[in-house]
Amino acid sequence: MTTDINRRRFLRGAAGAAAASGFMQINPDFFISSAFAATGKPMTFLSAENITGNWDPTAHTTLSQKNIEGFVMGFLTRTPMRLDNPGAVNNELATSINLLDPHRLEIKLRQDIVFHDGKPFKAEDVKATFEYGALPDRPAQWYPGPTETLTITTPDDYTVIIDTSKGGYPAHLFIFLASFLPIMSAKDIAEGPGGVLSQRLNGTGPFKFVAQQGNDTVLEAFDGYFKGKPAIPAIHFTFVGDSTTRMLSLMNGQASIVERLEPEQVATLESNPAISINKVVSVENKYLWFRCSKPPFDDPRVRMAACHAIDRTQILEVLGSAGHASSNFVSPVKFGYIDLPNYPEYDPDKCQALLAEAGFPKGVGLPPLEYITSVGFYPKTKEYGEIIAAMLQEQGLPVSLTVLEPAAWNERLYDRPGGGPGHMVDCGWSTASPEPDLVLRTHFHSSSHRITGIVDKDIDASLDKERSAPTLEARQKILQEETMPLIASKMPALSLFTSVMIHAMQKEFVGLYIYPDGSMDASAAA
Amino acid sequence: MFVMNFLIRRLAQGVVIIFLVSLLIFTLLRVVPGDPVRMMAGGMAPDALIEQIAKDMGLRDPILVQFGRYAAGVVQGDLGQSFVRPANGAATGGATFNDSSRGERAEVFDLVVDALPMTLQLAALALAFALAFSGLVGIAGGLAPGRWPNKLAFYISSIFISLPNFWLGIVLTLLLSVKLGWLPAIGYNGFGYTILPAIILAVELSPVLIRTLTSSIAAQMGASYVAVGAVRGLSRSRIIANHVLRNASVPLLNLLGIQFSGLLGGVVIVEYIFDYPGLGLLTINAVLQRDFPLIQGIAIVTSAIFVLINILVDLAATSIDPRLEY
Repeated sequence: MTTDINRRRFLRGAAGAAAASGFMQINPDFFISSAFAATGKPMTFLSAENITGNWDPTAHTTLSQKNIEGFVMGFLTRTPMRLDNPGAVNNELATSINLLDPHRLEIKLRQDIVFHDGKPFKAEDVKATFEYGALPDRPAQWYPGPTETLTITTPDDYTVIIDTSKGGYPAHLFIFLASFLPIMSAKDIAEGPGGVLSQRLNGTGPFKFVAQQGNDTVLEAFDGYFKGKPAIPAIHFTFVGDSTTRMLSLMNGQASIVERLEPEQVATLESNPAISINKVVSVENKYLWFRCSKPPFDDPRVRMAACHAIDRTQILEVLGSAGHASSNFVSPVKFGYIDLPNYPEYDPDKCQALLAEAGFPKGVGLPPLEYITSVGFYPKTKEYGEIIAAMLQEQGLPVSLTVLEPAAWNERLYDRPGGGPGHMVDCGWSTASPEPDLVLRTHFHSSSHRITGIVDKDIDASLDKERSAPTLEARQKILQEETMPLIASKMPALSLFTSVMIHAMQKEFVGLYIYPDGSMDASAAA
Repeated sequence: MFVMNFLIRRLAQGVVIIFLVSLLIFTLLRVVPGDPVRMMAGGMAPDALIEQIAKDMGLRDPILVQFGRYAAGVVQGDLGQSFVRPANGAATGGATFNDSSRGERAEVFDLVVDALPMTLQLAALALAFALAFSGLVGIAGGLAPGRWPNKLAFYISSIFISLPNFWLGIVLTLLLSVKLGWLPAIGYNGFGYTILPAIILAVELSPVLIRTLTSSIAAQMGASYVAVGAVRGLSRSRIIANHVLRNASVPLLNLLGIQFSGLLGGVVIVEYIFDYPGLGLLTINAVLQRDFPLIQGIAIVTSAIFVLINILVDLAATSIDPRLEY
């Protein structure tokens, strides 16, 4: 039996509570038809984050590099997640995606597309991309199962069938992936991980990669783009680490778009008639990760006590417009989000009861606890870190805050055998997809050991169950009624809030963005 | 002959200084917290792998052994490869430890040689601005002790020395670039982009130059040869131009050598604020990324520049006043 995926229903589920998200994808139409495109000027984007230097899209999860890929690479679909039009789907390289049965997905492809190196785009490229990206050693780890769990066939040059029977997980998981996995050329992939893939980007998007000049990634309009050559001749995507520098560059007209504004800068720019501010609830939640593989946070009662000691409304007050309240482990723009009824709220009495139950009445007997945070990358981490430390100390938890610059913090971030450094770590997690497992499974499944190091059979079983649900509706139900509440009852991490990413741009650039996975209408561009 | 002896002696001293600076930087980098292998391999790499990589790279050998190996390379012009930056010129590294597709690392020499001309251009322009402005204000102040030009020089230098460069950078960018649109400010896309950061550095350099010029000219003007010169019928302007300025320039020249070190320090902050792609910006990124070879390479190059500038300054001072011996 062939079952067409009902796009509208799917996206309503995916974006039920969605606002726009801060992951920047581009709307290709903008480059063709907007008023800015007509001016013929190059565009300068100032990024707050540097790139990895390895152009293989499967080698990183770095947001800034994903943004560059959004300009250069082609995607099977681009999927809006806007409240006012959750059903909108823009097919790009795909013309249709149909679920043939729970384990087989059929993707039909456009026939008039070429890569930047001249190679015609065919089914072999999708097959090669999926098979290569699912290799267990690829660092991005975006695929639901390793390559041996997939059987990908290409009945003709423009049809791809993905069969997940061997892996036992549903094929619909690839629908989520279709909107954000960049499609690579089979010819490039054939050279392997050490080949051309790591040296440059080669896609089917509106801009082609030209060169990396220091901190500046240079892109040029692609003549052979299937919607027509972009009128904007070039894009300069530049890493500028300092937010004040980025703001000044926008104000004097050198930059077209800047990202990650501090809340204080917004007020300055809002009064400038030439500049438009874009605040979006992002895919990124900020967390207080507990080291669950060593005492005292190997005891869920102590973790829960710490959660009840923290008043998250005070943290949001410090953050101002850079934070959005949420009560779940994933962002509201992710599939399956609900405000969890059992998400721990500030409750000193419960905190004390749990501490006593765990054998640490009023915190007596707890070892000194180190809370590691960074300064200089995320907004206000030091400020709210001090508040969290004070709130925990008030309940008797002997917490000391260690504030590190990003390199030193990153070095201490991840779990290691016997538990990672410190006892609690501040970190955000941003995955440019509606897929909740990119957070839940990555962090809370025993096989992952990412930051918390938690090993919990019940959570594993629940995560396996929701992943294997036959339909999206069934999966959403399991996520919301079983998996997420179960994790909230054990609290391996406290999601503090969802980040609001703030972009500022020259007025003529309004309309450029697509949020995950969605777009603002290019016709709305000034 | 004197010049040859002077150069040989001072260059030999310079080599010792550079050697000691390199050893100091090399040692300090290895005792501060922050394991570069963790940066290279990624936070998720197991400790055993970290140790293996560190061992393979010789980073667990005694510091002196590591330094000996490094110094042998430097003598042959090999400053090593960046731990983090790939050869394709991208901003940073950080792929995970088991990623087989990591590209070639960039040569430190290439990175430094790319950035150095930018910083030298900035430093030269800043010095030119500072000397022109300080000369104007300082000479006038020195020639009129106790009168308004002298007081003006005092006030200007007091104000300039109180202005933090990061603050001034932002304010002048807002004024000259954002509001008036006279100068470009951020990044580098032509010589014009050097002017604003050079002005900031010049403001930082000027106070000491103004004070030195004012006091040394005032002192020279009180010397007996000035009075005698007037008696011999020399005009005031000729006395000032041919004798006072020449004698007053010796302390200024010596000062310039020292100021240059301050300039290199100021360049780090100013280049960061203006996103100016010179040695300062490279240094900040290298420090943040624990890119040891790059930090060491920059330290060696800057100390060599510092030594050379001081030798040139001393040589110039000696030729102006042969009584001086360095």
